[in-house]
Amino acid sequence: MNIAKLMGAVALVTLSTPAWAEPVTINLWTVDRPGEYHYKMAEEFSAKNPDIKVNVRSVQFPDMVNELAKAMATGEAPDVTYIDNPDVALFASRKLLLDLKPMVDKSSVIKLDQIFPGPLASVSYKGGIYGIPRGANTIALYYNADLFKAAGLDPAKPPKTWDEVYDAAKKLTNKDKGVYGLAFSAAASEEGTFQFLPWLQMAGGDYNKVNVPGGVQALALWKKFIDEGLASKDTLIRGQWDSTGTFNAGNAAMDISGPWELPRMSKDAKFDYRVALLPVPKDGAPRASALGEGDNVIVANSKHPKEAFKFVEYMYEQMPRVWNEFGYMPAYPVKVDKPNYPQAYEVFNESMKFARNRGPSPDWAKVSKAIQTAIQTTLTGQSSPENALAAAQKSIDGVLSK
Amino acid sequence: MLRFNRVFRDGGGFDSALVLLALAYLVFFSAFPLIYNLVISFQSVDLFTIATFDRPFVGLENYRDIVNDPLFWPVVRNTILFVGVSVVFQLAIGLALALFFRLDFPGATWLRGLFLAGWIMPGLVVGAIWGWLLAGDFGVVNWLIQSLGLTQQKIFWLSDPSISIYSVIIANVWLGVPFNMILLSVGLAAIPADVYEAAELDGATRLQRFFTITLPMMRAQLGAVISLGIIFTLQQFDLFAALTQGGPSNASNVLQYWSWELAFREYRIGHGSVVSVFMILVVIFVATAYVRSTRHEHVV
Repeated sequence: MNIAKLMGAVALVTLSTPAWAEPVTINLWTVDRPGEYHYKMAEEFSAKNPDIKVNVRSVQFPDMVNELAKAMATGEAPDVTYIDNPDVALFASRKLLLDLKPMVDKSSVIKLDQIFPGPLASVSYKGGIYGIPRGANTIALYYNADLFKAAGLDPAKPPKTWDEVYDAAKKLTNKDKGVYGLAFSAAASEEGTFQFLPWLQMAGGDYNKVNVPGGVQALALWKKFIDEGLASKDTLIRGQWDSTGTFNAGNAAMDISGPWELPRMSKDAKFDYRVALLPVPKDGAPRASALGEGDNVIVANSKHPKEAFKFVEYMYEQMPRVWNEFGYMPAYPVKVDKPNYPQAYEVFNESMKFARNRGPSPDWAKVSKAIQTAIQTTLTGQSSPENALAAAQKSIDGVLSK
Repeated sequence: MLRFNRVFRDGGGFDSALVLLALAYLVFFSAFPLIYNLVISFQSVDLFTIATFDRPFVGLENYRDIVNDPLFWPVVRNTILFVGVSVVFQLAIGLALALFFRLDFPGATWLRGLFLAGWIMPGLVVGAIWGWLLAGDFGVVNWLIQSLGLTQQKIFWLSDPSISIYSVIIANVWLGVPFNMILLSVGLAAIPADVYEAAELDGATRLQRFFTITLPMMRAQLGAVISLGIIFTLQQFDLFAALTQGGPSNASNVLQYWSWELAFREYRIGHGSVVSVFMILVVIFVATAYVRSTRHEHVV
């Protein structure tokens, strides 16, 4: 009788759990730091299931894909891990993730038809389900109601269409006071793609169809924002967090970003800030919004798929808590009592219905790069929107046809 | 045992062991990665085949892709500009400061020591600080030149494609000057004072002394500083990551950053290796020049 068995027997006596088997350890990788979502989930789950121990390891967000690929190649991958949603297809296409469909079909906890279409699309690949969203986020239009009033605009009627947002940005821009009309991110990184894709999708395009008239129109509008000084030139190199920093400081009257900004904004912004849905190309056009956050996935060769799935189910059940405790949007409609930042929550929650996945493509990084290049060459004036998007379409076709 | 002792203690055994140790280190940590990099550049490598050796060889395909990439020539041009301008200014300012601190004034040595503070700072920190200084809307530099009335318009140091590479150069020059200064100070200190005295007695002016004594006698140091400057500048990655990420629209992209982007952002690891092979060739060329310049040192 070894020690583990002995302990199992002791556990049986003391806790009277049917733990004949040795306690199972599942490994979890996360981009969270101690005290955040995954650490809390692991702690709660282990407390409720003494026969399953969850080991958590933090990996830096930008390193996750590299680290995971390396670990999978050398057989040292965790059982459960977090993957940012556009990267799910990369791993699923190589059969490195467990298809959860058979287990989900039998699950009494996870109901696929409940999940918002965007997050559901992000875990679906060729008929399989390769992860379960832990939450979601999306982007919307923040605006400074005080500056709206000062500029003679009605803060109860935020811009709804692209023309309106352009007009509002023009009226709100005040060069003498160093106030730009709009802040957003067109950086040559995933953030630039994240911000541009909804504009493209509202105008009838998508990641695989960028060369559409609506896309040209969107990019031309972005160029107008920069060229006419309605948005800072630094928009080209600045991420969303830094752009929103200028909004919080009162140096931009409108800002496009997500719910993760709210804790800082509620401290830094000394004005009446509100949130509105992203403007659409014209009245009646379909809405779209970006889809952020990521998924809990199980690695294909996990030794404890059953226990891992139980853990994933547990996390899925906690969805009503994610907004108030962790700051993500729920990935399926839940009732949130007394949500933090109620006005923003309502808008972001509405926006979740239109949030659309990036991809899926196993070569998402290359697709995204082509979109970033189109944005950057247009905004720096090296290329017209038409030529930039035609070039992007050519490289995307090349990537997707492989 | 006795025989071993004799060979090891009295014969060449000990010498050989020391040499072998150093050699083993070099083979493991320098030669192996270099050759491995070269091999990868001929293979089709992605994230998932990185841990195996068994990868399809694609011949020169990666090389063709890189040379035909529309980014290739702009990036090469940027790299030459970045290295050339950085090294010239680092050297000029470094030499000027070294000469300045040779003047005997109170506090000269410790002021010179303070300059080193910049050099020991991590590149990412230096990058972050220059990022604040050069920020377009709220940067210190813009505020300064605007309050001095030098310009009405803000200069978008980091996001204007015609300027961004120079912004990184400015930060890099600042970072490299202390190293140049210290190395050149050492060289200056090695020039015997009596040479100058003799020249002065013969009526040589300051300028003549500089060109006929200082410069020729500093030849070896200058060669070393220039070669090391080129190598360090080719290694400069942190400043790009912190300041412009090679942008906007690759206007400040250079080989070392592009190589990283290809390998770790787009996961085209074979292509990233091709770019680093090109860089290794340049470094080998410069290193040869450096070795030759230090060999010259022994003659002196």
